Amino acid sequence: MPPRIHSQIIPNSLLSCRSSASQTSTHSSLPSPSCAPLSKLSCSRHSTPSAPHLPQQSSRSFSSTPTTQTRLRETMFQWLTTEGSELKSHIPGTTNYITDGRNRKKFGPEGLPGDSKPFPLNPHFKSERILSEELRNDIYQRVVVKKQSVRAVSTDTGVDMRRVAAVCRLVELENQWREQGKPLALPYARAVHEMVPTTKLQRDARLQRERPHEQINDLPAHRLTDAQIFYPVSESRQFTRVDAGRVFSAAPARLRGDDQGDQPWEVVRDLNLGERRIEAVGKGDGEQRVLQPADVRIPHPHLITLESERAANPDSLRDVWRAHEKRLKEGNEAEEKRKQRKQEARDRQVFRIQPKSSRFEFRIKDVVVSKETTGTDGRNAKAPGRRYGVPRSDRKKGQVKIPTHVLV
Amino acid sequence: MRNRATTTLKYPKIRQSWSKWNLYNLQRLRERAVKRQTFFQQKWSAKSLTRAYHGEQVRESQWERMFNRRVRSVIPMNPRRMAADDGSATAAGRGAGLDATEGERNIVQETPYTSMTYAPLERRLDVAIFRALFASSTRQARQFVVHGAVTVNGKKMRFPGYLLNPGDMFQVDPERVMFATGAPKNKYDRREARLEKKLAAKAEAEAAEKAGEEAAEEAKENEATPESETKESEPLDTRKTLQQMIAQAKNIMADNKTVMAGKRKQELRGFQKAVRRVMSRSSITDTQAGNLEAQFSEILTLLNAKQASRREAQNKKSESETTEGPEATETKATEAEATKDAEAPESAEASKPAEPAEGAAAAANEDKPTDALTEAFRQATLNPEKEVDVSELSWTEIDVLKRALVQLRDNPVDTSKPYATPWRPRDYMNAFAFIPRYLEVNQNICAAVYVRHPVARPGFSEVPTPYGEETSTGAYHWYLRRR
Repeated sequence: MPPRIHSQIIPNSLLSCRSSASQTSTHSSLPSPSCAPLSKLSCSRHSTPSAPHLPQQSSRSFSSTPTTQTRLRETMFQWLTTEGSELKSHIPGTTNYITDGRNRKKFGPEGLPGDSKPFPLNPHFKSERILSEELRNDIYQRVVVKKQSVRAVSTDTGVDMRRVAAVCRLVELENQWREQGKPLALPYARAVHEMVPTTKLQRDARLQRERPHEQINDLPAHRLTDAQIFYPVSESRQFTRVDAGRVFSAAPARLRGDDQGDQPWEVVRDLNLGERRIEAVGKGDGEQRVLQPADVRIPHPHLITLESERAANPDSLRDVWRAHEKRLKEGNEAEEKRKQRKQEARDRQVFRIQPKSSRFEFRIKDVVVSKETTGTDGRNAKAPGRRYGVPRSDRKKGQVKIPTHVLV
Repeated sequence: MRNRATTTLKYPKIRQSWSKWNLYNLQRLRERAVKRQTFFQQKWSAKSLTRAYHGEQVRESQWERMFNRRVRSVIPMNPRRMAADDGSATAAGRGAGLDATEGERNIVQETPYTSMTYAPLERRLDVAIFRALFASSTRQARQFVVHGAVTVNGKKMRFPGYLLNPGDMFQVDPERVMFATGAPKNKYDRREARLEKKLAAKAEAEAAEKAGEEAAEEAKENEATPESETKESEPLDTRKTLQQMIAQAKNIMADNKTVMAGKRKQELRGFQKAVRRVMSRSSITDTQAGNLEAQFSEILTLLNAKQASRREAQNKKSESETTEGPEATETKATEAEATKDAEAPESAEASKPAEPAEGAAAAANEDKPTDALTEAFRQATLNPEKEVDVSELSWTEIDVLKRALVQLRDNPVDTSKPYATPWRPRDYMNAFAFIPRYLEVNQNICAAVYVRHPVARPGFSEVPTPYGEETSTGAYHWYLRRR
C-alpha cells in the first residue's frame, strides 16, 4: 500500500479513517470490497498514535460510537474533583494558590504562612499584600482632610509616595460615586480583599512604621552603574558613595574639602530651591550630569539624617523627632517652590488668548529654530507647520495612531 | 481577531486566563528537560512557552519592537545602614569591604533580571486590566476595551494596545467586572430570568392592546365623516402613539408593583442565603467595618420604606392561596415557611435548587444560631417598621445581624443581571488572584492607577510569569537576537 492512503478521508463511505478499531458492529453488515481493506489499514495506522488517549474501559461497552472523552480529559476532571476541588472557592483571610494546596499537603492544614506564590515553578514571583480598605481611608484622611504632607504620610504608613497619591485619587473618586449614588462593586471588593493578602491598619503609630506596607526607599538602578569599572584607589583614601558616582560618570576626582559635611536632605533642599546645581561633565551632545550618590537619589533622604541623629542622641529622642519634623517642613516648602518655579517657566513659554465670544482658549508657543528642532533646512520631523516635500505624519508608513498619553 | 489562544491538554500552554483548564495545565507544569536540546532549541522552546502566556494577542513583530534589553530594577536602601556608613566601609580593604564574619555578612539575593523580559507588555491596557483582576482573561479585558467599557483618565479608550503611563487611571464598568469575575448563572437562574422577562412582556402587550382599543373607540366617536378619516390619518397616528405612550407609562408603573412583589420574595431568599454564609464564615474581613453603623440605620429605614409594597405582595399571596387548589397552597405554605424561618436551609434549598454544592457546604459548617438571633432576623426582615428588639442578643450576635443586613443590601438577588445573584466569585478565581505592586486598585469603583513601571528587586521580579528564571533567560536570549 502507498503510504499516503491513510491520510485520505474517503468520501461517500461509512468508514472514514477517523473511526476507531472497535467500530465494527454496524459496518460489518455493509461490506464493500473496495473499502474494507483500506479502512482496515487506515484504522490501524490511526489507532496507534491515538490509542493512549482513548478511555481504557468504556462505560458503554456495547456502544459503537467513539467517546469524546480522552484520557487527558478524564485525568483533568479527576484532578478537578479531587485535589482541584480545594481551589474551587476561596478561604477568607488566606490565599489559596496551587502552592498553598501543596504546602497544606506537606506541612499540615495550616500550610506555610507567608509563602504566597501563585506560580509553582516561579519562586521569584510572590503575591504581595494590598492596602486594606481601612488603611486606604486612613491615608486619604491624613492627606486630604488633615492636610499632612505626602512625604510624612508615606514614612508613617510605609507606603510609597506615588501610591499615596494614587490612593487619594481613587478614594476621592469613590466618595464622588457614593455621593452620586452610582452602583459600586461592593461584593466583588469584599471577595478580592478576602482572597489577596492585605496590610491592616495598625492602631499604634509605631507599629505601623515598623511594619511597612512596602519598601519606601527604593533606589532605581541608574544606567551609568551598569558598567563594571576597575578603579584603583589607595587604601588610605576615604572612598565614599559620592566618589563612586563621580567615577561612574567619568568626572574628575573631587578635591579634598569639596561638599564635605552636607547632609543629603540639605543637598536635595538646595537643589529644589535652585541654590545648588548638579555639576555637568562632557561637551555638546555628550554632556551629562554627574551621578549623585544614593543618599540624594532615594525618595526619603531625610531619613538618613534622622537615623544618624537617633544613633548619636539615644537619650533625647523627642528633640530628634522635633528636629526631623522641622526638616521635613523645610524640605516640603522647597519642593513647593520648585513646582511653582516650573509652572511659572511653563506659563512664560505659552501665550494665552481667550476671546470673549469664544469658548476656546488659544495657546500660542514660540517656535524654537535650531539645528535640533527644525534642522538645517527647516524640514525636520519636529519642525512646525506644513513643509514642502514632507508628508504629514499620519500619512507616513508605520505610524502608530494609538494615543501615547491621555491628559487628566 | 481570531482567538488562537486555545487551552489544550495535549500540548499544554499557560495562558493569561482563570479557566479551570488553565489551572490544570498550570499545576501539572514541570521544569523543561533541556539537557538533550541544543542551545537554539532551548531558546526556541523557552520563547514559545513564554510567549503563549505573555501577549499572545500581540503580533510577534509588534512585540519585537517593544522588547528592550534594559531591565528596570531597584535596590532597596536601608537608611540606618546608610547613616552608619558613607560607603567607605564597603570600599575598604581590596574594594569589597573588610572581611566580615559569617553573621555580619549581608547576604544579597540575586536580582532575577531575565524574569522581566516581558515587562513592556505589562504596560498594555488590556494586560493591566487583567492584572487588576477586572477581567478573567486578557482576551476578555481586550473585549471590554474594544466594546468601550474602559476609560483612561476619564476618557473612553478603545485601543487595547494603549501603553499606560505612570499615573494613568483606568476604570472598567463595574457591571462588566462583576460579570467577568462572578459565577455564571445556572440553568435555573436563567429560567427564572426568562420567566420574569416573559411576564413583563406579556403585561406590556396587554396594556398596549387595551390602550389601542380605547384609542380606536375614541377615534370612532370623534370622527364623523370618512373624508376626515382619510385626511386626518397622519395626526391620528400621532395621537395614537401618544396614547400608547401614556398607557405604556402606566403599564410600567403597574408592572413595577408586580416586580416589586416578586423581587421581595427573592430578596428574602437571598437574605437567608447571605445569613447562612455569614454564619458559616468564621471571620469576615473588615472591608466595611468603618461605616457599618451608618449602613445599618440606612438599611432599616430602607426596609421601612419598602414595607408598603411588601404588604401588597403578602395580600396578593394570600389571595392566590385561597383561589388555587390544595396542592398549590401546600407548596406555597412550605415556601412561606422557608422564607420565614432563617434556620431552615434544607427546605430553602429545596425551594430553590440553585448553588446546591455551596448551600450544602454552608449547611455543613454552619454554627447553629441562637433562637434570639433568628427572631431578630425575622423581625428585621418581616417586620421592619418596628425597632428590632436587640435586648436579648449578645454583642457578637448583633454584629452578625448587622453584617447580614449589610450583605443583603449590597448583594441583592436580581435576575436581570447577567451573572448569578447574589454575586459570588467564579470558581477557581482565588488560584489566580494577586495584584502586582505597580498597580493600585480600588475594587469598589473598579478603578486602578498604574503607579509605576514594573521593576525587579533582589530575589523578586514584579512581572507575573508562570515560568522560572531558566525559561525566562532562554526567552530573553532569544529576543537579544544573537541566535
